[in-house]
Amino acid sequence: MSRNPANPDSTNKLPSATMDTTISEYNPSTVPKMFLDRVAAHPEKVAMRYKHLGIWRDITWSEYLERVRYVALGMVALGIHPGDRVAVIGENRPEWLFADLGTMSAGAVTVGIYTTNSAAQCEYVVSHSGAKVYIAEDEEQLDKALVFRKNTPELRKIVVVDTKGLRDFSDPMVMTFDELSDLGRDMHQQDPQRYESMVRATKPENMALIIYTSGTTGPPKGAMLSHDNVAWTAWSIGCALPLFPEDELLSFLPLSHIAERMFSVFLPIRFGYTVNFTESPDTVTANFREISPTVIFAVPRIWEKYHSTIRIKIANATWFKRMAYAASEWVGRKYSEHRLSGGPIPVGIRVLGSLADTLVFYKLRERLGFERVRLAVSGAAPISPNVLKYYHGIGVPLRQVYGQTEGSGPTCIHQGEVVEPENVGPALPGVQVRIAEDGEILVRGSNVFMGYYRNPEATSDTLQDGWLLSGDVGELDERGYLKITDRKKDLIITAGGKNISPQNIENHLKFSPYINDAIVIGDALKFLSALVVLDEENVSQYAQDHKIPFTTYESLTKAPEILELIDGEVQAVNKNLARVETIKKFTIVPKKLYEEDGEVTPTMKVKRKYINEKFGDLIRAMYRS
Amino acid sequence: MLETKNIEIYYGKIMVVRGLSLTIHEGEIRAILGANGAGKSTTLKTIMGYLDDQPEKGSILFKGKRIDGMQTENIVRRGIAYVPEGREVFPELTVRENLLMGAYTRRDRDVSQDMDRAFTYFPVLKDRLRQMAGTLSGGEQQMLAIARALMSRPALMILDEPSLGLSPMLVSEIFDIIRTINDNGTTILLVEQNANKALSVAHHAYVMETGRFVLEGPPDALLNNEDVQEFYLGIKREESVRGEARYKRKKRWR
Repeated sequence: MSRNPANPDSTNKLPSATMDTTISEYNPSTVPKMFLDRVAAHPEKVAMRYKHLGIWRDITWSEYLERVRYVALGMVALGIHPGDRVAVIGENRPEWLFADLGTMSAGAVTVGIYTTNSAAQCEYVVSHSGAKVYIAEDEEQLDKALVFRKNTPELRKIVVVDTKGLRDFSDPMVMTFDELSDLGRDMHQQDPQRYESMVRATKPENMALIIYTSGTTGPPKGAMLSHDNVAWTAWSIGCALPLFPEDELLSFLPLSHIAERMFSVFLPIRFGYTVNFTESPDTVTANFREISPTVIFAVPRIWEKYHSTIRIKIANATWFKRMAYAASEWVGRKYSEHRLSGGPIPVGIRVLGSLADTLVFYKLRERLGFERVRLAVSGAAPISPNVLKYYHGIGVPLRQVYGQTEGSGPTCIHQGEVVEPENVGPALPGVQVRIAEDGEILVRGSNVFMGYYRNPEATSDTLQDGWLLSGDVGELDERGYLKITDRKKDLIITAGGKNISPQNIENHLKFSPYINDAIVIGDALKFLSALVVLDEENVSQYAQDHKIPFTTYESLTKAPEILELIDGEVQAVNKNLARVETIKKFTIVPKKLYEEDGEVTPTMKVKRKYINEKFGDLIRAMYRS
Repeated sequence: MLETKNIEIYYGKIMVVRGLSLTIHEGEIRAILGANGAGKSTTLKTIMGYLDDQPEKGSILFKGKRIDGMQTENIVRRGIAYVPEGREVFPELTVRENLLMGAYTRRDRDVSQDMDRAFTYFPVLKDRLRQMAGTLSGGEQQMLAIARALMSRPALMILDEPSLGLSPMLVSEIFDIIRTINDNGTTILLVEQNANKALSVAHHAYVMETGRFVLEGPPDALLNNEDVQEFYLGIKREESVRGEARYKRKKRWR
């Protein structure tokens, strides 16, 4: 592996494509057809890597095809017909992709389920989608199916990938992933053309996958995406951001989410880059250092976490390192400010910038496994402009993508050299964005989904005259760059009648290394307040350094010194806000937020409504006196 | 009475206890629960001054005075007695000699009186007075270890896993005695794996994991905590359909 220092200036040489010229280059296709094209182009190139017994093992594109082919034919042997649904639940691993592409090759529809879902949530998805096969990663996910299978009559077969702990278990409905592949292998031997002819029969307009939205409100809705949605979006992303077969990606966010699916499954098929699977959710940082990917996709929470970890580590370093870092940070900020605004960079800053990069930032990036990053993307939730600027300062070219599952993932993305932290860049090539009279962002293009599965009302609420109603409020400038204000339903109108976007304030608060999450409250109330979730690691370190005794996390949230610390952070944020936007009171939430407790979504977005109910007492207490 | 403030304990370069703060009030029984390797015994040994140069950071106060960095014998003189894990009686000394060792730090003449008091708790020891301690049963050795600790007339007695290797009957007996000792005015800090027993006598308890407290509270609150129930009391919430499961629910410690 060559390890060239990432040169921020070399990112993105392609000029951002204009809509009309590129549209004509797209040939409608399907995911399995794209896959066969990819295999034919680079059969012996490494498609993915996974770690087994501590060693990274390669899977080439031709091996990938063989595995997919057997799964697809195995599905046929199980009686799966085009249009049938197949549920897949598991952490990121090669078998997830074999199952996904195998299903699609058979003309069937993949339904991904979050591993953290409870048995009841899995039941909802399996039953609502009418899945006939449930592919479970291991015994934990198998057990969920065993609980609900009596309520899901359409479910015929459960397939288990990892059979650890199941040696003495047998059930007529359950088979192993290997057994499924064996069925497929037998069929392939009898009819070697079967797979290719199945793939030929797939049509762009057919449904390829259903993504159940994690649902910040109500039961999840199943967004249907066609092959064309996926293939077109992958093509369009390629026009906006160049991706190459030499690229490396680390796959660690849930594959049941559209963004990770795009980066780990569909984009690699189109562009041929290598996907590396983390060993487990706990080894992400170590795996980053081992792989040092060139392409990173992560949610804001991860970027924020890396940022606050760096800040705390530096604060605990020696005096000399602290000074060197502070100076470099200043230089980096100046350098990136000039560069991001597209203006000329003064010679002095240029010299200092390369000095800071060689002496400090390159080492820092190397420590994080970010030294080869060419393309870094944050998405699935809004990121604080400060965090974005910070990464540019240290030489990580972080861009933001805005979009939704209903738009196959991306709608707008920072393209080319221009990355303005305040906006999310222009629409993807071929996508149209319009602002409705009430400020809502409307989206039109081949990325817009087919509708919600078995839910015509929700579909007609969301798709109107060919436009997708995003539910977000924003502004377009004269260049067509989109600035997101907030979720439409999250906007706060105070008792004084002022319109306020909580998101902006929350992002400022989250920039503090001591604040993990913040929820701003104030709708129809006299003033704004906030619920604050501490960053446990950094705050306990702070308590330790300042000799503040605490026993548990809860007692930490109540320590007067910590209240003071957070108050300082809140006041610092208030200084940069308009008077009506300032946080007058705050309360530290006495627990961490967990997905299992229904407080955050699997991509770690706070479920505002639920939080407001759950911590209603804390909120009322702030408004009582 | 006893207070540790943000103590950090290292074994070489490995931080075993990460900023631990606990408080014990006079007259209480406090328990620390936790799995093997959580750092419970290490904390007790540090309080007793057994570990050289530990705690690395933080302070330990007994009756308002700092005792960290002091010699163990001086800590004992100030009124803390320690019943180590696995009894650790002197096997080749008699029961009587073992008890006298417990009074080693004392200079007064009332030792025999205290020995009699110990026999009221543990009458069986009186019958074995001249027997070598190594020949006692495990339960008797545990009793001897507690009796030996009482000989220094401690204000605070620290017990490390008194239930280790004892039959359920004996465990109940030992815990009854611990409660009696407490009723008679000795404050008690207890480390236990047997969560049920510990919570039955304690006034307040901590749950320790990887060098930190993750939960604290009165015993009834802890007994109702889902995580304590599943991981310390073995009450299963989500029963596996197959009747067995290898995987574990994620702990949340709310």
